[in-house]
Amino acid sequence: MRNIWTLYHKEMLESLRSYKLIWVPVVFIILGIMQPLTTYYMPEILKASGNVPPGMLEGYEMPGSAVVMAQALGQYGTIGMLILVLGVMNSLAGERSSGTIEMLMAKPVAPAAIVSAKWAAQLTVLLMALGLGAAGAAYYTEQLMGPLSWSNLAAAAGLYGLWLLCAVSLTLLFSAWLRGPAAAFLGLLAAAAMSLAHSLLPSLLDWTPAALTAISAEMMTKGKGLAWGPIFSAGILIVVCVASASLFIRRNQLPE
Amino acid sequence: MDEIKWGLIGPLLALQVLLAVIGLISLSKAERTRGPKWLWVIILIFGNLLGSVAYFTVGRKDN
Repeated sequence: MRNIWTLYHKEMLESLRSYKLIWVPVVFIILGIMQPLTTYYMPEILKASGNVPPGMLEGYEMPGSAVVMAQALGQYGTIGMLILVLGVMNSLAGERSSGTIEMLMAKPVAPAAIVSAKWAAQLTVLLMALGLGAAGAAYYTEQLMGPLSWSNLAAAAGLYGLWLLCAVSLTLLFSAWLRGPAAAFLGLLAAAAMSLAHSLLPSLLDWTPAALTAISAEMMTKGKGLAWGPIFSAGILIVVCVASASLFIRRNQLPE
Repeated sequence: MDEIKWGLIGPLLALQVLLAVIGLISLSKAERTRGPKWLWVIILIFGNLLGSVAYFTVGRKDN
């Protein structure tokens, strides 16, 4: 346990030095507040773009605050996920190619401790970014569109965070095995395949982690309750990823 | 919506500037980058959100 804490501390110091602890949250805040802003100014933006057919702007109706907030969270599912996955891709692959893993393994440090510390550091960045981003988006949405249900918002953001954590954990697993860019590619591919499979067969696959984004949006817009299946399967997926990453690190210490 | 509400747009601009400044500080300290440094300066200053994200994700070479 003490090893994990020391390694976690080192990881957080590293992400502070590389400015990751600052720029990822800032990007998430910008993404979050851009959604309500562009929605609010959409008529102006369309007018400024010049070639709007007459009569189109009369039909424009401002979407409700809950819908805008769900869209803002949706931003984190695309660009946000890309940023998080690119940030985690080198976390184990980089250590393998630079030889730090061998140095660590020469000491009595369990591979599981290395991987858990990395994972916890990624979770911290994710929580900071998503928390600040969702708070910023919620503030702007309240100012521009109207009041939001804060309990629904917290639950919806939490569900979204769990889905993002699944993608991060998958990338961490691939990073224990492949080079960085390949790990990011496979991590994104796995997440995309899961959500594609879920959108094709929603009734059959509504227990998978990919259902989390849909549940999050429904909770925001319709106030629907929690579904435990996707939460449990997401938890299992994350644990499996961390455990298998530890196994890979133990076996395959040299790059390539 | 007659005038621009700077109270709402202002923070967005401030965050964009902050992001570019952090990027430039990081760039000035970086020993190696992918591609020439002067190009990244231009991308960071004029590239807005995506320029900074590009620099932080693929522009730096991890040592």
